[in-house]
Amino acid sequence: MREEQFNTMGQSIVDGTPESARKAASKALELGIDPLEAIKRGFVPGLNRIGEQFNRGEVFLPDLVMAGEAMKAAVAVLEPEMQKRGTQREVLGKVVLGTVKGDIHEIGKSLVSTLLTASGFQVFDLGVNVPIELFVEKARELQADLVGVSALLTTTMQGQKSVVEALDRNGLRPRVKVIVGGAPVTRDWAEKIGADGYGQDAMAAVALAKSLVHK
Amino acid sequence: MKSVWARLTPEQCQQLHNASLEILERTGVRLFNDEALALVRKAGAKVVEGNHVRIPACLVEQALSTVPKSVTLHDRNGRPVMPLEGNNYFFGPGSDCLNIVDHRSGKRRKPVLQDVVEAIRVCDALDEIDFVMSMFLPSDVRQEIADRYQMEIMLHNTIKPIVLVTYETSGCVDAIEMAEAVAGGANALRERPFVTCYINVTTGLLHNADALEKLLFLAEKGLPALYIPVVSGGTTGPITVAGGLALSNAGVLAGLVISQLKREGAPLVVPGFGGDALDMRTMVDPYCGPDPRGTAQALAHFYHLPMFSLGGASESKLVDQQAGIEAALDMLIAALSGGHIVHDCGYLESGLTGSLAQLAVCNEVAGWIRHACHPVEVSAETLALYLIDQVGPDGQFLKLPHTRSHMRERWYPELFDRCTYSGWLDGGGKTLGERAAEQVSRILTSHHCESLSPTVAESIRQVVLRAEAASCESPTPVTGGRYA
Repeated sequence: MREEQFNTMGQSIVDGTPESARKAASKALELGIDPLEAIKRGFVPGLNRIGEQFNRGEVFLPDLVMAGEAMKAAVAVLEPEMQKRGTQREVLGKVVLGTVKGDIHEIGKSLVSTLLTASGFQVFDLGVNVPIELFVEKARELQADLVGVSALLTTTMQGQKSVVEALDRNGLRPRVKVIVGGAPVTRDWAEKIGADGYGQDAMAAVALAKSLVHK
Repeated sequence: MKSVWARLTPEQCQQLHNASLEILERTGVRLFNDEALALVRKAGAKVVEGNHVRIPACLVEQALSTVPKSVTLHDRNGRPVMPLEGNNYFFGPGSDCLNIVDHRSGKRRKPVLQDVVEAIRVCDALDEIDFVMSMFLPSDVRQEIADRYQMEIMLHNTIKPIVLVTYETSGCVDAIEMAEAVAGGANALRERPFVTCYINVTTGLLHNADALEKLLFLAEKGLPALYIPVVSGGTTGPITVAGGLALSNAGVLAGLVISQLKREGAPLVVPGFGGDALDMRTMVDPYCGPDPRGTAQALAHFYHLPMFSLGGASESKLVDQQAGIEAALDMLIAALSGGHIVHDCGYLESGLTGSLAQLAVCNEVAGWIRHACHPVEVSAETLALYLIDQVGPDGQFLKLPHTRSHMRERWYPELFDRCTYSGWLDGGGKTLGERAAEQVSRILTSHHCESLSPTVAESIRQVVLRAEAASCESPTPVTGGRYA
């Protein structure tokens, strides 16, 4: 019975249907399943499954994004009950995320935000055209573990370097790790500017974030 | 040079046109420029909130009736060489690659100014390359004024027409000033334009300030502008070819209206590509996916407007089989659909990397295509019935003057191998890529472009130095840049 419920939860994530994820989450609460267990044994395995399918090229990015949305929907239903019980989903880390000043490209950054959230990170998305100082301010205020800086233009890539330098200057590193991404960004660039990592796509960013907080 | 292939029927083109008109009237566009807003408002468009404009169909139809149906690009010496009309097609490279695969080492690295110089010299030498673009973004100059250096290099190293790309409007203004110095003044350049500017617009419905400023500037100058909204299917537009095309075309028509309101009869070149989508597995923006091929060209022909097409690019990371196949197929379709200015020859890695060896391969392909699309002459001379009769069933044609006088009309490869096996082995048993790299090296040691007069060279140098000085003074962050 329970196993069947867990399968339904996982499947709602694989299918990328927030409505079924919401329903499966409500059903779990009705049946008295511990919300943390629902997440761990029901929803997260679904997310892992679709992540593997994506890495094998079997599903496309919009499938993955909708899986992330379904995950968010499920967690939203379960959260009040978790609070009531005084439990909470294990937060893998706090991430401050934004597209750097001068750049208004949003899609890639938002994708990373969705997938990080779905994977258990607490994400503070500062949006686009974010001033260098705001990355620093928020990282300090929220005691972030990670700062993610996105740039899609060769001219705005320089801003990623400025964020790294500003965090250095303010003494927030090496505790706060910086990850960078965007179409013109490369591993070499990340190394050159002293960032802690680079992911070539949103899934790689999640794997990178996990490895950095586990260090 | 007859187009033998149209991907869309005239009825489908009409449907797309109507769809774009509906998008402009119902959904509307955002214009991030006050002058453009004022122009459309005065003409009767409805400005809904701030910069959100709904453009009525009558403004579009009016603009379509005044925009020139043909533009001719000239060379640096003022000779008309690229009539952008009918089913003509002309091949050239792309601009601003972030990496180069060095033809000497085969290694991928950051390009420098010298790479731009070499690229333009190679373009100048290759017979089938009809125009130039910068090819590389040099990493050894201040990035925000790299466009001035590119322009100076292009002006010095080729007489072929130039498609320029700049980040900000000031770069475009400077580049035009340099071109005017070379042409002998603003009027000379307007009468015999040898440069045109490729304007990237954020999306079909978001028209960024720089794009509109450049459009208005060039319209006022009476110089041709390429107005190209970028719609990425699945992210900034529908994933379907028709939906993406309707949306980018709405943006083109909005630009057309603004250019004609600024100056009736201002020349405008529309995209011969569109309806593309991001690869939903890798999020890479593919340059030669098959699905939309030929559609935007059909639409541009429906409007009888000059167009800027795409061809000769590859997603491959090196000069290999994939690069050859993708470039050739894409170039052939651009030619068969009469794509006018066909750019991006020599592009690898979906536009992030350029290769001069790949450019040489494209030149070879272009020659093949020109011969494959050339009309066949059927006449007494070419039928040669008198010779057939004279030679009879038992003779041969090898020694006839007719053979010698016509044999060079056929295409002969420079790079494609037609040797016997042992002949190929004796020549080193090389691949196409190796032979192409050697051709590039040969060109670089032997080819030189006609130089500019010292006075002209000095005046364009001054523009570069002025931009250099200004950029050192103002450390303000730039907002433009290359869309990778």
